[in-house]
Amino acid sequence: MKTFTHINADSVAEAVKLLAQYQGRAKLNAGGTDLLGVLKDRILPDYPEALINIKTIPELSGVAEDEKTITIGALTILADLSAAPLIEKYCPLLKEAVDTVAAPQIRNVATIGGNLCQDTRCWYYRYPDEIGGMIQCLRKGGKTCPAVVGENQYHAIMGAKKCFAVSPSDTAVALTALDATVTLAGGSGTRTLPVEELYTPLGNVLNPDELVTAIYIPKPAPAAKQNFIKFTLRKPIDFAIVSVASLTTLEQGICTAARIVLGAVAYTPVRAREAEKFLTGKELTEETASEAAELALAGAKPLAKNAYKLEIAKTLVKRALLGQ
Amino acid sequence: MKSYRYIGKSTPRKDALDIVTGRTKFIADLTVPNMLYGRILRSPHPHALIKSIDTAAAMRLPGVKAVLTHADVPDWRAGFPHHVGILDSKVRYVGAGVTLVAAETAEIAENALALIKVEYELLPAVYDPEEATQPNAPQLYDQFPGNVFPRDNLVFGPHTLNGVEMGDPEQGFAEADFIVEGTYAYENIPNPLPPESPAVIASWEGADNLTVWLGSQGPQVFKAAFQRRMGSINLVSYGSPVGASYGAKYASWQYALPAAALSKATGRPVKLVYDKAEHLAAFTLRLGSRIRGKVGMKKDGTVTAMAGDWLVSSGAYSECTQAMVAVGCGEAQLMLRCPNWSLKPQMVCTNRSASGQVRGFGGQELKCALIPILTLGMEQAGLDPVEFFKKHYIKPGDGFYWREGKWWVCTGMDYSQAIDRGAATFGWSEKWRGWLNSTAVSGAKRRGIGVGVHGNADAGEDVSEVYVRLEPNGAAMIHCGIAEHGTGQRSSLCKMAAEILQLPLDRVFVTPTDSLVNPIEIGPVGSRGTYAMGGAVIAAAEDAKRKLFELMAPKLKAPPEALETIDGMVYVQDKPETKLPWIKAMQFHGSVMGYGRFESDFSKPNFMMIFTEVEVDTETGKVELLKVVGATDVGQIIDPLSLTNQLNGCLGSAGIDSAIFEETVLDRQLGRIMNANMIDYKWRTFAELPEMEHAILESPFSTHQFQAIGMGEITPSPGPSAVLMAVSNAIGVRIHEYPLTPDKILTALGKTAPSERMGKQ
Amino acid sequence: MTSMPEKTTHSIITLTVNGDEHAFILGEGAHQVSPSHTLAHTLRETLGLTGTKISCDRGACGCCTVLMDGKAVLSCMLLTVECAGKQITTIEGLGDPATGAIDRLQQSFIDHTAFQCGFCTPGIIMSAKALLNQNPSPTREEVQAALAGNFCRCISHYHVLDAVLDAAQKGDPE
Repeated sequence: MKTFTHINADSVAEAVKLLAQYQGRAKLNAGGTDLLGVLKDRILPDYPEALINIKTIPELSGVAEDEKTITIGALTILADLSAAPLIEKYCPLLKEAVDTVAAPQIRNVATIGGNLCQDTRCWYYRYPDEIGGMIQCLRKGGKTCPAVVGENQYHAIMGAKKCFAVSPSDTAVALTALDATVTLAGGSGTRTLPVEELYTPLGNVLNPDELVTAIYIPKPAPAAKQNFIKFTLRKPIDFAIVSVASLTTLEQGICTAARIVLGAVAYTPVRAREAEKFLTGKELTEETASEAAELALAGAKPLAKNAYKLEIAKTLVKRALLGQ
Repeated sequence: MKSYRYIGKSTPRKDALDIVTGRTKFIADLTVPNMLYGRILRSPHPHALIKSIDTAAAMRLPGVKAVLTHADVPDWRAGFPHHVGILDSKVRYVGAGVTLVAAETAEIAENALALIKVEYELLPAVYDPEEATQPNAPQLYDQFPGNVFPRDNLVFGPHTLNGVEMGDPEQGFAEADFIVEGTYAYENIPNPLPPESPAVIASWEGADNLTVWLGSQGPQVFKAAFQRRMGSINLVSYGSPVGASYGAKYASWQYALPAAALSKATGRPVKLVYDKAEHLAAFTLRLGSRIRGKVGMKKDGTVTAMAGDWLVSSGAYSECTQAMVAVGCGEAQLMLRCPNWSLKPQMVCTNRSASGQVRGFGGQELKCALIPILTLGMEQAGLDPVEFFKKHYIKPGDGFYWREGKWWVCTGMDYSQAIDRGAATFGWSEKWRGWLNSTAVSGAKRRGIGVGVHGNADAGEDVSEVYVRLEPNGAAMIHCGIAEHGTGQRSSLCKMAAEILQLPLDRVFVTPTDSLVNPIEIGPVGSRGTYAMGGAVIAAAEDAKRKLFELMAPKLKAPPEALETIDGMVYVQDKPETKLPWIKAMQFHGSVMGYGRFESDFSKPNFMMIFTEVEVDTETGKVELLKVVGATDVGQIIDPLSLTNQLNGCLGSAGIDSAIFEETVLDRQLGRIMNANMIDYKWRTFAELPEMEHAILESPFSTHQFQAIGMGEITPSPGPSAVLMAVSNAIGVRIHEYPLTPDKILTALGKTAPSERMGKQ
Repeated sequence: MTSMPEKTTHSIITLTVNGDEHAFILGEGAHQVSPSHTLAHTLRETLGLTGTKISCDRGACGCCTVLMDGKAVLSCMLLTVECAGKQITTIEGLGDPATGAIDRLQQSFIDHTAFQCGFCTPGIIMSAKALLNQNPSPTREEVQAALAGNFCRCISHYHVLDAVLDAAQKGDPE
């Protein structure tokens, strides 16, 4: 790996200050399980001058609750999150999502903040520099997205206009279903926004001097049924081909509230609002679930090689709703 | 069955303690004093002429000791025919070597690559083997017009098999009750992907002395093949434990020659270790295989004629494609007793990283496309495939043309019993519901079963020479140039020698894989370890024992034939009190050297049948492998745990899983391999293991005194076509290519519009 | 270029490997630990502990698995500089250093021939060790889950599962 300056940040304020000083030429490092691969493969047009280690910032990890909210520190390690009783009790779908991430050794160091902020797995974007040079795709300021006419079997089936990479974060899908928000700290203070609004077509909304500090999950209604299903070729290691998180509240068989979120279909987790609306007030049956699945994928526009993702997504929506 | 002290019993691997304590030294773990680190700048273009290379800035980087271009490297050639240089002025695939660098550290070498400026003249590229043979296709080599490798390359001598031509196919088709035709392809070019990437240290000293420390399944073959081609130099080859190979690292010139060139240029040892991206994108893959074939059949399943065009795609060069085709053509006949054949291979080069040797060696690639065509006939005749394979697999007395073009008559075994045992273990007849019928349906999930078969006559291939040296303290050293690559073969050879010499197993050793002390050894390939190498070890141990008894006879006042030895003592038979230790025969400074030689014997094919059960989720297209049963007859088990390890290996190394999720994904706009990493290249994990069981028979085999035959090489090869059959039966639709990923399943089921999978090949 | 921060919070780091404390000078010199060095690199190239293997070097194969404060982690995806103060155990650190006796788990791998080429074995043993430390009597499924990030291309999985379960059954946790 090409070298860099390494700095341990002792506080959020210091991390923010360092980010500002480096003006985009530094990278934050939490678990490092994503960033180190990015650096080793030299996929970025500009190699960072510095790495700012934020694991040295105290009090950014842990799970806490108050009456209405679960709070997760951004540096909470995935394995710890999975083992947290509060998560198991209030947000089983988040636990399910966390447990599907990579492999045990990764979950022992990767953080929830890092999982949310990881870079896309698009294999054009990630193409290693050493085998003929990195690919200057649209996401890196290039002119085209090679996936459009290339090997797009894992790429976006909805919402993409120029870059067809998908968000790889499983926890983002779960947190969107849970209506979670994230707090970002930066030079101009902190701001809090829904996880759903964290991503942009070419990355995320973080300013160069911002970092995620905490995640807040409103405690779901105890009656709400939670499901997370991730479709991959293999259970461990793989990133989602499609994932679905759902949260439904049933009263005597009638769905009174529903949140359905699709993952790995677009640059961001996608709320299936039409499907949610359709289901509300209806009995949850094989038929209504199937119809909801159709509605959830109504806007999909697959590329030449990823139409199968649409079919899988529909199946996953249906199965998540029915708890299959 | 004969009972032995070691043979057939599980004994700890001789290298077990080193392996579990991390003390085993693979090449990457070694350092040599004053060593430099090599790196290779790789081509961004699939097809281009190099116009200029500016190495000045890289040479100026402190710590850089050499930057070599195609103009600077020695003209050492590899491949069949010898057409591949270390570097060339033309690049033929993305990842082809352009410049070699040696530097004081690996980091400096890596940083130097970024400073090299190369100007290319781009040429159009071709990826599909059929397109490559079209008149206007881009030409990869001047000497191979039409991008076709010469079929008359005589890798196995003047009559090398380059097809199966036999009988009168026209007549055969005329005699058939029906004829079926089809095209099937196994073109996902999976990577055997041993965990240890290619690695070497080369040290050139003086005018013509080269020493290599080589991570290779055949470290001595490198010496045998290249020392003459490198100018009749003195080449010393040290093998090492191999972090697996599966055939892939049998050829090692791709990494050994660049390191040797860098060492020659710098006068210092050079270590070259590929990283995983290079291993996946710029080392060798399986062959691509596509057969357009036709079978003539009688209603009872008798095959009257088999004809087909076998399109073999080899990528940017032929490492030894002609050899794989020769063996594959031989193996086709072992599987299918048929009097009339016309199977015509065509070997084509295209602009992707090359294909090379992998266990299954041409035969797996051929079977994956050929067996499905045969199943069209089985379906039409309503035949159970197990019965069909049983009827058609070679029996003693049947003949076949083998790789060198000679007609051999099988003197091996009738494997019908193994087939029956396998079918019973699997529960085949209870589950079989006929062609394109699932065995069980539960909601969206449908189960299906399938079976495949493979066998190889190379289990007795080539010459092996071995010395066994008896030492006065009651120990034996086997001089054999075999590198341990995972099969436990070094330990198994010790067991054979220990059995003959009746020594404690911890008193029997194999020399390091060092060409200074060992005869040239072809190595453990084609399952030849047990019969061929074992045969040489047995002969050498017997020879040593005979010489020991001759020395001892006068001292014990008994004829040599009346002597026996146990644990380093020689006894007169039936007189246990009349005994002397070995040292009395040899004296403390002496030894006894036995010599053994094995000569090629292709008359004893081995055998492997794989039964599979899959479950297909028809709503997601996911294929889950539920159960695998392997059936074989090995004559005599040498080491039970090593054998089951080999059989379980059927899943990995571009085996069964190459029908399920393994593939190398090539972007045909860019010519780049997109999944050159171990997340996107899929492999079997601990989390998802099918139920695995084996039916292993031990019917004494007419090989050597332990009556055993090897079969490690072939365990994966029947698997992919078995899975294809199982999936087709599960969903009731035939699929014609691999792997059976969800997109293909959903398309076959009509749930998704067919997407053009032009990235494959 | 803007002015770079002055802060240098560390020039020497210490970490404990297999019970021995090692101090490293940070820097780009020949015998120093660069900030870009991974733990795997430092273990292998600086300390000579080559039992920890590198295969994919990208966090996907588990060959470089070591224990950090008792948990299985991938040494190829950790910066050495960020492991300061941690307790690292490598394959060389298993067993009893006083007697040279190997760990029960290692013995079980020998007894079951739970390897073929052996390249992935140290990583597999370290993952299994982390599991048994935490869960001395795992089920087969729990062993499978714990080893889900360990590559074995030879397919020694079945023997490995037998070896780990057998080791778990045979003894008290150490």
